[in-house]
Amino acid sequence: MQSSISLETIKKDFPILHRTVRDGKPLVYLDNASTTQKPIQVIDAITDFYSNHNANIHRAVYALAEEATEAYESSRDKVAKFLNIKNREEIIFVRGTTEGINLVAYTWGRKYIQEGDIIVTTEYEHHSNIVPWQLLAKEKNAKIEYIGVDDNGELLLDQLDSYLETGKVKLVAFSQMSNVLGTITNTKEIINKCKKAGVKTLIDGAQSVPHMKVDLEKLDCDFFAFSAHKMLGPTGVGVLWVRKDVLETMDPFHGGGDMIREVHKYETTWNDLPYKFEAGTPSIADVIGFAAAIDYLTTIGMDTIRNHEISLTKYALEKMSKVKGITIYGVKDVLKRGGVISFNFHDVHPHDVATIVDREGISIRSGHHCAQILMERLQVAATNRVSFYIYNTKEDVDKLIKSLEKVAELFKL
Amino acid sequence: MSDPIYTEMIIDEAKNAHNEGTLENPDISQHDANPMCGDDITLQMHVNNNTISDIKWHGDGCTICKACTSVLTQMIKGQDIEFAKNLNKEEILSELGLQHLITQSPVRIKCALLSLKALKLGLYTYLAKKIENSSSADTLKADASKLY
Repeated sequence: MQSSISLETIKKDFPILHRTVRDGKPLVYLDNASTTQKPIQVIDAITDFYSNHNANIHRAVYALAEEATEAYESSRDKVAKFLNIKNREEIIFVRGTTEGINLVAYTWGRKYIQEGDIIVTTEYEHHSNIVPWQLLAKEKNAKIEYIGVDDNGELLLDQLDSYLETGKVKLVAFSQMSNVLGTITNTKEIINKCKKAGVKTLIDGAQSVPHMKVDLEKLDCDFFAFSAHKMLGPTGVGVLWVRKDVLETMDPFHGGGDMIREVHKYETTWNDLPYKFEAGTPSIADVIGFAAAIDYLTTIGMDTIRNHEISLTKYALEKMSKVKGITIYGVKDVLKRGGVISFNFHDVHPHDVATIVDREGISIRSGHHCAQILMERLQVAATNRVSFYIYNTKEDVDKLIKSLEKVAELFKL
Repeated sequence: MSDPIYTEMIIDEAKNAHNEGTLENPDISQHDANPMCGDDITLQMHVNNNTISDIKWHGDGCTICKACTSVLTQMIKGQDIEFAKNLNKEEILSELGLQHLITQSPVRIKCALLSLKALKLGLYTYLAKKIENSSSADTLKADASKLY
């Protein structure tokens, strides 16, 4: 492990950033809100596990099994330290944010949400923080309400007050950072309001945890979910954190191996936390790869990452706003947003823009970004989106601007 | 500046698309969409004596989708149903020089062929209603599902 990683030379750690695409164009990867690339340290950790330590965890007594269990469990400790979590048993490894939120909906939700209850979410949620609640609401005859988004891309938090006043709200589920607009949610204010009203809070941290310092002890929410693959880690791994007093009241999600204490013909008792919620063989190698990603990010420092993205976003917003025919969505103040910029060209479909930009080797996203409710609010079918991470540079932004100018030229904007 | 997809011809065809609009009491009205990219069109036709006497389309699509839809409607307006039934993807794409999408762009080919898919499904529904022996209609349905 390196003792320091410089952002100037960081690209050398990412093998994929050295390949070319589309007839020899160097790859410029700007779809980090979707998934991030992996440094060699993460790839090596996974390879090392399969080459040297592979065995199932928590069961056998032989050497390999002990090594595998030790590596897997030490990943849990790394997650705890990374997010300032006191109780490691509050950390459940899942497949990703989506599974984390579904776990809460199926276990806590099914047990505690009743007919007439209200679940509040926001207009800028990813589908993964909407659809599980719709399924639950349908089953229980409960209701979903949305905190609206203003023209600036920020939440209209007054609306939360009126929902809370009904006395029927059981849960407020919201993302800490919008995956489309990059807006950073005023998380503390929402949690404070909910605490006063005795309402549980669930935070989708998929976009925030990779890009800024998150302290769960300070936040004091009830549920928190995020994914490894958006923070240099492997796909197929995520974390659901649930405050212990809440987790202790929850029934199991999946039944199977590893989550039991004793199984009898007609009755079974559950394993301790968090294993009660980790049925079956997990993605062991990927959890270990995830720990390597956390090490990597920790060595750089989350504040360094945040500052890098603030300056890159500021630079990009300034340059992009000068491109002919462009509309940029979201808050102007870079301190209130992450490194995510959604935009459209007047009259040009986002897929046309993404295709033209891709021809220069630049990967950007076009579509509804799993946020169709926000698309409706913005009154667009789709947007283009660029999203930055630690390996992106001002040169990447310059290349993007050049290709966006080509779009304006081709379409005579 | 030359571009393999975004030629002046395609951009103009999309910007000044032909036959955009809606028909009153259409004999055929077929909606279809590509959920991943948001192309979303409705194709409407009047049929008189086995001839497509009028055709209009409306919806929201990218440049490729709009240009191809525009070309398709021009190709089949005034033609008989048999011609429309047999229209294939190569004929549409070659009108705009987009044949390379078939091998080079599995994503964008869907934009180009959405209107052809809507046409085939629309004709299928129409013919299935008209004819007792719908074997010829089933060919259309199979054709549509095999486009991409």
